[in-house]
Amino acid sequence: MALIELNQVSKIYDETIVPIHAVDNVDLKIEKGEFTAIVGPSGSGKTTMLNLIGGLDQPTSGNIIVDGTDISTYKPDALINFRLHHIGFVFQAYNLIPVFTAKENVEFIMLLQNISKVKREKKAIEFLQAVGLQDRINSKPTELSGGQQQRVAVARALASTPSFVLADEPTANLDSVSAESLLDLMEDLNRKHNMTFVFSTHDQRVIKRAHRIVTLQDGKIKSDELNPVHIKNET
Amino acid sequence: MLLKLAWRNIWRNKKRSLIIISAIAVGLCCGLFASATMFGMWDSMINTTIDRDLGHFQIHSKAFEDEKLLTDTIPNFENVISTIKTNKNVTGVSSRILIEGMASSATSSNGVRILGIDSETEKKVTSVYKHIVKGSYFEENWNNQIVIGEKLADNLGIKEKSKIVLGFQGIDGSIIYGAFRVTGIFRTESSIFDKSNVFVKEDDILRLINSDKISNEIVVRLSSVQQVDSVYIPIKKEFSNLSVKYWGDIAPELKFYYNMLTTQMNIFVGIILFALLFGITNTMLMSVMERVREFGVLMAVGMKRSRVFFMIIMETISLSFIGGIIGLILALILIQYFGSVGINLSAFTEGLSQWSLGTRLYTSLPFSFYPPLVLMILATAIIAAFYPALKAIKLKPATAIRTY
Repeated sequence: MALIELNQVSKIYDETIVPIHAVDNVDLKIEKGEFTAIVGPSGSGKTTMLNLIGGLDQPTSGNIIVDGTDISTYKPDALINFRLHHIGFVFQAYNLIPVFTAKENVEFIMLLQNISKVKREKKAIEFLQAVGLQDRINSKPTELSGGQQQRVAVARALASTPSFVLADEPTANLDSVSAESLLDLMEDLNRKHNMTFVFSTHDQRVIKRAHRIVTLQDGKIKSDELNPVHIKNET
Repeated sequence: MLLKLAWRNIWRNKKRSLIIISAIAVGLCCGLFASATMFGMWDSMINTTIDRDLGHFQIHSKAFEDEKLLTDTIPNFENVISTIKTNKNVTGVSSRILIEGMASSATSSNGVRILGIDSETEKKVTSVYKHIVKGSYFEENWNNQIVIGEKLADNLGIKEKSKIVLGFQGIDGSIIYGAFRVTGIFRTESSIFDKSNVFVKEDDILRLINSDKISNEIVVRLSSVQQVDSVYIPIKKEFSNLSVKYWGDIAPELKFYYNMLTTQMNIFVGIILFALLFGITNTMLMSVMERVREFGVLMAVGMKRSRVFFMIIMETISLSFIGGIIGLILALILIQYFGSVGINLSAFTEGLSQWSLGTRLYTSLPFSFYPPLVLMILATAIIAAFYPALKAIKLKPATAIRTY
């Protein structure tokens, strides 16, 4: 069974006025351990699709099965709980809690999962070490560079031990060095820990590194192919 | 950690938080100080009334309650006094003969209440001897001394050592006149009391009415007003044939004023907190609107809406309590300070004496006033937080995340 499965999924906004088919009758399967990029021009439905996969939005029709659970009919509170235990999020603007240090930001997710203080402090440090920020555990977001903040966001996403990580334009605000470094990190986590990553992006640096590229246009899947660069590297 | 987050969130916008904290602190401090002033007035009224005249409780014969006649005496009053004196909380007991009569000088006359007392025991019960402004309090050797109020002296046009004639009805119904010489003139906080009460020695009265020792009134003084119930209730039970009343029964207007005052003060502080409620709501609403994206992220990564709601409530409670505690501390300092040095109101002496108030007002606020106040602050914070918290949890994470 696929880790993520979208069956005949549509999302229509402003149904009663001028209906906008943000996602139109999409079928998609993503397997465990994939490193997939959802690409397409602005307005193609990338973010909407990511929101649907992440349980941040509900489809107008069709169903979404994540980790064997149909989340398309979940109530908002049940979705929050599902997200907490199954999905890690990395956002374009990092979105760390500004009053918390890097360690506290990572710890916070585990607090929501009711993990004991001792255990979550230990794990938070481990995750920050894994993303190469062992020296910045007590720094607040404003004291970190964009790249470092995004690394903390990755550590936070991993802290909930999710089934997969959704990253919405993760490199959009980063310079090329930070972006490459972040992609190295994610690729490493994917390779070593078989962590599934799903990106929405139109950054060529990300597209180049993705193993699978799903291209959207007007809410429909225009193409779904394995990255030739990656296949070449593998061989 | 959630509390830590709530606490740190308060200080994200220091200026705004400090403004609302100051508003709460100043509002509460002023409200409490005003309440303490009112309570201080009440305290002053009740204490001066107890000190001057009432004592903590009084005993009369039941018949005396109706017509207040000289003949309505307390049977076996000496036994009653000895029984009362055995209680360790009793600091003074005084027996009085009370007669309604007329005081006349060469030029004028005035209706008065004549109190026949033992000057030494009376000193342990009331404080008129401390208010002597001319002459002395029964320190001369001659008979028929009288101590009168300054207001009465003015009305009768007499001075110290002047002669005054008291006229009243004796035990047998005949009218008795007795000539007295003014040995002392007192001025208390109450001009009404000063105008209508005269003190003479009980032996002089007994000689005039040709009677053995009698008592119309026993006045009891305790070491503190808090002991009234524990002393007066058993005595009331023991002497059920007599009328035993504490100060609140004797001067119900004071008791009523106190009850009214407590309610009035709670309403007063409630109004201040109600006005502050809008300020707190506004502050929290601004804080929530500034953090829409953050709330979106928190809910996206798995923070339950109930926890978001709780966090905003905690932020508001913390904000309100900081202001509340500062306000309380400031108020306590002010109340303590003016409770010991007093507020000088000598510019209003004439008006204050009509209300039995001294010219120095000492602020006080009973401890019982504080616990409801803490609850009121808590309730204000929760009510103030409700709308902003509701607004936050209604956010849709997908939309909120993209709010800049």
